[in-house]
Amino acid sequence: MSSPTATAGKPANRKLGGLQGRDLGRYTLLIVLLLIVVVTAIGNPRFLSVNNLMNILFQVSALGIVASGQTILLIAGGLDLSVGAALSVAGLATALTIMHTGSVALGILAGVVAGCVIGAINGMLVATNRATPFIITLGTMTFLQGVAILMSGGSPINGTGALFDVFGLGDFLGVPWPVYAMFASILVMFVVLRFTTLGRYAFAIGGNEEAARLSGIPVRRIKIALYALSGLFVGVAGVILTGVLDSGLPSMGTGYELRAIAAVVIGGTPLIGGRGTVIGTLGGVLLLGLVSNSMNLLGVGANFQSAVLGLIITAAVLLQKKA
Amino acid sequence: MTLDTPLAIQVQGVTKSFLGQRALDDVDFEVARGEVHGLVGKNGAGKSTFMKILSGAQPPDSGQIIVGGTAFKALNPAEGRAAGIAIVYQNPELHLDLSVAANIFLGAEPRKGFGILDDKAMAARASELLARLGLNLPVNQRLGDLDIADRQQVAIAKAVREKAHVLLLDEPTAALNKAQAEFLFRLIRDLARQGMAVVYVSHHLDEVLAISDRITILRNGRKVAVVEGRSADKDGLISMIVGRTLDAVETHRSERPKSEPFLVMDAVSSPGGLDDVSLTVTKGEIVGVTGLIGGGANALAAVIGGLDHRHVAGSMSLGGQPYAPRAVREAIARGVLFIPEDMRGRGLVMSLSIAKNISLAALKSLSNLGWLKLAKETDVATEMSERLDLNPRAPGREVRFLSGGNQRKALLGRAIFADGQLFVLEEPTQGVDVESQRQIHDHLRGLAAKGATIVFVSTDLEELIALADRILVLRDGRIEQELSPDRLDPQQLLSAIQTQSTRSVN
Repeated sequence: MSSPTATAGKPANRKLGGLQGRDLGRYTLLIVLLLIVVVTAIGNPRFLSVNNLMNILFQVSALGIVASGQTILLIAGGLDLSVGAALSVAGLATALTIMHTGSVALGILAGVVAGCVIGAINGMLVATNRATPFIITLGTMTFLQGVAILMSGGSPINGTGALFDVFGLGDFLGVPWPVYAMFASILVMFVVLRFTTLGRYAFAIGGNEEAARLSGIPVRRIKIALYALSGLFVGVAGVILTGVLDSGLPSMGTGYELRAIAAVVIGGTPLIGGRGTVIGTLGGVLLLGLVSNSMNLLGVGANFQSAVLGLIITAAVLLQKKA
Repeated sequence: MTLDTPLAIQVQGVTKSFLGQRALDDVDFEVARGEVHGLVGKNGAGKSTFMKILSGAQPPDSGQIIVGGTAFKALNPAEGRAAGIAIVYQNPELHLDLSVAANIFLGAEPRKGFGILDDKAMAARASELLARLGLNLPVNQRLGDLDIADRQQVAIAKAVREKAHVLLLDEPTAALNKAQAEFLFRLIRDLARQGMAVVYVSHHLDEVLAISDRITILRNGRKVAVVEGRSADKDGLISMIVGRTLDAVETHRSERPKSEPFLVMDAVSSPGGLDDVSLTVTKGEIVGVTGLIGGGANALAAVIGGLDHRHVAGSMSLGGQPYAPRAVREAIARGVLFIPEDMRGRGLVMSLSIAKNISLAALKSLSNLGWLKLAKETDVATEMSERLDLNPRAPGREVRFLSGGNQRKALLGRAIFADGQLFVLEEPTQGVDVESQRQIHDHLRGLAAKGATIVFVSTDLEELIALADRILVLRDGRIEQELSPDRLDPQQLLSAIQTQSTRSVN
């Protein structure tokens, strides 16, 4: 535990993010998982090949986008469990629009708008109700799962034309487009958190909502904006995943909510809010990708993988309580 | 009270320090069975600490507590309960979603066997117990549907069910109306008649005098005296509570030309507890507001600060313009900055840095179309830290690492940076060291000298006298008295706060 040392009279301490002793606890899991990765890499050299690493990035790109959005919600003391179902709805909106209009541009617009609107609705419900975001978004998640099945009629909506050509097949300098999209999302969220009033308000509301209110921050409006922003990211992820799969599926977002929240928490953002970084979230996303990839390489079955993911999430949350 | 009755609880030589500050110094205390024992003292005299030690919430540094024939170096809450000590707070810690009966029998529910609860037997036994205590409460009602007075009665009934023989009551009448308070006094007397030892802690000296067999007075952590309730009078109590103030309280009032009215309140009433308050405060004036808990001082601050805005009757104006804030941010937009007493819970964002806390209420002035000017923010925070002598001068340091005094300065800095014209403060120096208190007072005087208006709520007599240009004493939501602090000594002020409590006690 580091203790604050007085620097009275000295000029401003510019190192804002210096790693404090107590922060170390929050990154314990990150460190442990890194060790696992190192061990796997030693056991199977193919693990760290450029091809495999690129594959991992491609695999986690949609997750990375959703988790970027989720990061600011957790920082603000919120949570959105409906992001997986919303991703399905956004993806189906894209696929259906392309199917009916033949326009990829309209399809992209439909997906992004759908995600954004769903987020805004979640935000309004959370901001105006006393129920916790967990319960409210659990409700909207169930609702949206039903909507996704109704939209698709129960079967995939296939064929996305140019969207597939770009996100499913295309690359730039050997890097698939969805990977660029993920890093762009991380960058956008980094900028929002660090350089905008919206980001600052998210930290303030998550750290002490009453203090934020007494400082004149329009807490409700900010909450709605944050959920809408996260929804925008979900919409983008939905569009990209639809392109990757060349189809919209009612189950395409299933499980994304838990993995996204796990990535954020592994990345050091506490569930109680008030602090956190999107760079940490990127670390969490990459680790989830690395772990599942290493299990694939080691021939671990899907059910067992799910159990391991569950253990990781549980460990992340338990370690946070202590930190 | 004759002392040949057996003692229910005896405290010997209890001492407790916090961070080198003596909160309690070698305190002896005893309550006989069937006695109602009042405990009085100023804020900070050690009452709360003493109650915590009695209830087992905190261990003393030294001394012992003898209860039920056993001497304890320290009690934990479970031992306290087992020894028959029960504490009832002004807002009882009960389960609002459970029924009255379920609350009374929590942890000792009657069972039919195999772990099945016997709700009928529980309700019947609860009814019987309540009837025995003369309480008329619906046993199957959800507790949350009852008012505070009823909840308090449930808490007391629960204590009786747990076979408590020492009952600690902490400011029990703070949230009660006159009829409810009188009912409570009858209940306390009945319990005492049946052998219960009652410790009654309150700022309402009239109540303490009326109900107590004996009264212990604490001052600066020491026991000053124990007096018989029958022979004591209020003036005597007040002088013992305040003590001889050899040095007159230092005041630093500078002659300020009285200027035009800034805040004008006209017949303002609020559901929060204001009743027809009219008040004019000029620019550059410092007004201290005080009174007993629930008297309306905090309600006044809440209305001015824009926190309490629903169903506020009457009218206000600020700088000559109508002023009716419908949210805190509307008040801030008019230059009215509320600074809460509870800085950890309501004031500061502990996970953020000094700079980010100082800028929080005025980020608009540090941003352009939503983009923050981070370098300017750091400069502003550095400047403010220097102005307020806030240590350490490290704008990036999280505020949770600061001392209480520096945390209060950061809060004040936020209000100043938000371009405050009217500062509304609650207990501006509570819990800070003497040096920080002096500095904060100086800063507030400095702000007033530059034309700001300051309204502060305080229960610290010396602070009121030292800082205020005039002191308002509120009672039952009304301005009961207006005092000039010149040549006012703390005893007179406390008398004014305590006089003619309209809540009659028989």
